Amino acid sequence: MKKVCLLRLAELSGVARPCLAAIWLLAFLLTGCHNDPNPKPWREKRADGKPWVVRYASMPEEVRSLDPQVSYDSISRMVLEPVQDCLLEYAPMKIDPYELQPCLLESIPSRTMNADGTVDYLCKLKRGIFFHDDPCFPRGKGRELVAADVHFSIQRLCDPKVESPISANLAEYIAGMTEATDAAKRNGERFDYATMKVSGVEALDSHTFKLHLLKPYPQILYWMAMHFMAPVAQEAVNYYDGLPHADGSRGEMISRPLFRFHPVGTGPFKIVEWVRGQRFRFVRNENYRTTVFPSEGWPKERDAVNGPLAGHALPLVDEVQLGIFRELLPMWLLTRQGYLDRFAVQKDAFNSLISATKGLTPKYADRGLKLEKAVEVSTFYISFNQQDPVIGTNKKLRQALSCAYNPQGFIDILYGGVAPIAQQLLSPGVFGYQKDFRNPYAFNLEKGRRLIAEAGYPNGIDPATGQPLKITMDTTANSSAERQLAEYEQRQLEQLGIHVEVVENTFARMLEKEDQGNFQIAAGTGWGADYPDPENYFFLFASSNFPPTGKNINRYKNPEFDQLFEKMASMENSPERLEIARKLNEILIEDCPMVLNFHKAYFVVTQPWSPETQVNMMLEGGFKYMTVDPALREQKRREWNAVALWPIPVAIALVIAGLGYAVYINRRRNV
Amino acid sequence: MFSYLIRRILYAVPILLGVMVLTFFLFFVVQKPETMARNVLGKRATPQTIAEYLHKRGYDKPRFINREPGQPFYDSIFFTQLQKLATFDLGVSDVTGRDLKTVFKEGAIPSLLLTLPAFFVGFIMAVGLALYLVFVRETRLDAAGALVSIALMSVPPMIYIIFGQAVIALTFNYFPAFGFELSGLTTLKFLLLPVSLIVVMGLGSDVRLYRAIFLEEIGQDYVRTAQAKGVSSTRLLLVHVLKNGMIALITLVVAHLPLLVMGSLLIENFFGIPGLGNLLVSAIQTSDFATVRASVYLGSILYLIGLAATDVCYALVDPRIRLS
Repeated sequence: MKKVCLLRLAELSGVARPCLAAIWLLAFLLTGCHNDPNPKPWREKRADGKPWVVRYASMPEEVRSLDPQVSYDSISRMVLEPVQDCLLEYAPMKIDPYELQPCLLESIPSRTMNADGTVDYLCKLKRGIFFHDDPCFPRGKGRELVAADVHFSIQRLCDPKVESPISANLAEYIAGMTEATDAAKRNGERFDYATMKVSGVEALDSHTFKLHLLKPYPQILYWMAMHFMAPVAQEAVNYYDGLPHADGSRGEMISRPLFRFHPVGTGPFKIVEWVRGQRFRFVRNENYRTTVFPSEGWPKERDAVNGPLAGHALPLVDEVQLGIFRELLPMWLLTRQGYLDRFAVQKDAFNSLISATKGLTPKYADRGLKLEKAVEVSTFYISFNQQDPVIGTNKKLRQALSCAYNPQGFIDILYGGVAPIAQQLLSPGVFGYQKDFRNPYAFNLEKGRRLIAEAGYPNGIDPATGQPLKITMDTTANSSAERQLAEYEQRQLEQLGIHVEVVENTFARMLEKEDQGNFQIAAGTGWGADYPDPENYFFLFASSNFPPTGKNINRYKNPEFDQLFEKMASMENSPERLEIARKLNEILIEDCPMVLNFHKAYFVVTQPWSPETQVNMMLEGGFKYMTVDPALREQKRREWNAVALWPIPVAIALVIAGLGYAVYINRRRNV
Repeated sequence: MFSYLIRRILYAVPILLGVMVLTFFLFFVVQKPETMARNVLGKRATPQTIAEYLHKRGYDKPRFINREPGQPFYDSIFFTQLQKLATFDLGVSDVTGRDLKTVFKEGAIPSLLLTLPAFFVGFIMAVGLALYLVFVRETRLDAAGALVSIALMSVPPMIYIIFGQAVIALTFNYFPAFGFELSGLTTLKFLLLPVSLIVVMGLGSDVRLYRAIFLEEIGQDYVRTAQAKGVSSTRLLLVHVLKNGMIALITLVVAHLPLLVMGSLLIENFFGIPGLGNLLVSAIQTSDFATVRASVYLGSILYLIGLAATDVCYALVDPRIRLS
């Protein structure tokens, strides 16, 4: 048979031969290629013979630094979270309210108030937790985590060379941090880890330490759930110095990466591959025993998924491939092909996926996709400058403007209607958030018109000029979407009969204006909370927090608010604290230093084989709790990715027709 | 020719200086280093932390001229940057702290893997199609070819990308819609679609231009003479017209060659190819001044090299031209 084919090929004319070769090459490429962009799993099977389970996830940008004491952006934290466990962590299933639970610590640290106003936290590390196996340790075997590692991490926060962005914030509370930082600065910015101890971290034994605070700061527990205070092995920091070293086995000089690109943690996964600009690959830490899947806290509808997993060892999958997607379209396409297990619905995909009733469109519901709503711990608002002679001094005018603004249109434009309208400064799940609270100055145009008349501007007319009151609104309008949003806000406020002039700024200029208080109204302001505590929201309006050192860009000042805030900030959660948080909310709503807009939220679509175990937005991915049914995934992928064959003969026919036409013309011209 | 090249290099100096002044203006006057510091350090950064960050990178010096008493006038951000770039000290990324020479070396390989094949395949295809249209000139097919070429030129690049990803990758399921892997034949799987798209994106304008060049050649006296001597149409096109038309073509395309190393901004970004185009987009998004500055500087140098190479090629392939 083969011989016949070869003979026939040899007999073919000069034009047909390359054509046939091209067809063969095309057929070879199409059969050799498949559209799966994910690399092969790290292993085929587990050590116990069970199938190796991979989870495919995505993130929008490359990481900046993986140094736990430095990383602040959510992307870097998403990569650090699986690798580097923290002292405490967020209970994954509890979001109403959010709750902390022990991670590397045995229990939530107990607090002792001292007579001199200082505070101590007694912290006990779990025993038998080991750092990942890594060449930085003797014989490459990770050693046990001890209290000295926590002290080393706090020392690193003080090291000027580490450049921790929150060093100054924590130095205000943890005893000895300021002194250690100053000592390093006096020593030519060189931090001597042997002598420059931080008195605030006192090791009582190998696994117990006391954290001394200069003043009450219950929020320190939330900081313990962030990577800044996560213990780091000094061996790893010293070993990964970014310099060339002689490789023992071959005698060559090999450059070691910097520690900030090679974290060595105690977490449920290890990074086994990092292809810059493309992906991270995490593989299960076989020795991980620190936490297990929780046995309670989820809503009833998640019982079927989470119930059987209660008490299960973590992580649930063997490998996570975390791809970097700078554009949204490819992410959506790969989700449709089944090559991503989860997709945060963005604008490009919104109309295809989400129906008018905010459910899945029938096409994707039939595919077995599931829709979840994730609300971030954030609140966005339009800020009034309280030092502005027109806006700042006229409460009724601010209230009127608040009543004129309907956030729903903004939410529809920006978030497809999914984000909830903010009724209060605190976001859902934060201690002090009141589910039933309705902002009395929420959108109500009639009330707004009444209030603006009471404010001295009937129908929006400034009696001094006889013209509509002119107000300037500063915004960062760098894209058409931002301009559209600014126009929306302008139109809404102008319903009162006033004239709103929009000033577009670069991001840098906007920051400058906010720092200087050089604006009347600033659009697009808000806060993504570091931790779900009312202190982390209300501090935005404390007068001790004016720019440039603080974040009170509204320059709001109210002695009663300040006094209550100071009291509430240093209290542990209690009914009394709850009452103060409510009072703070009332004061703020009545004084109206901002127009509340929305809490950021989006839809998350999960594939039929990867049910969502949790939607805790304080976790950056929560990969250790994620599960997958690989057999179903394989089946669906085959169904969804059948190769279309018809375009190939059509393309070949077109090429042949073109060539044939050329031959025809040639013959006719040469006759 | 040697003196011409020396002159050309000297001309390049003010051009590069202009590029440096422009990028400096964009990154240190329009967009300020404080913004970058805030981006990198996060929302909690205190003014002191920001000041320390800027100081360590020398971004707290005077911008253009140092007027501080006792300080040399050139101890400013501008002159420091100028000196570094002039000596090819690209420095480290402002955001990640990685050595930029290593970053550029790593990014050049995927970029070249994408742009080189696209360049050569695109060139061969455009020449082939232009010759074909010249061959079938003054027929309906020629008119249709012109129409299709204009249509290809008019379609925005984004539409090609969406078509490639949504139709060829998603509906036909031929190739991955996204991704890259640098390992033998697997790399081919990831490159076929983006390379094809780059080829098609440039095809319309190239075919139109090359067709015009070949049509000009076909009207020359030597072509009529060859025809009179009985040379067949195929030989006339593939030997006589192609050879003489190539003089104009080579000078046109050589200018693009050095820039190939800088990759393709859109395609790399949409297909997740970790080349220099992708690097630049990422650097702009994260306000990584050092990386953007180095990218723009390298891009300008490569462009100037391309222009000089074009002149040299002209002289090499056309004996009538002398560089002096």
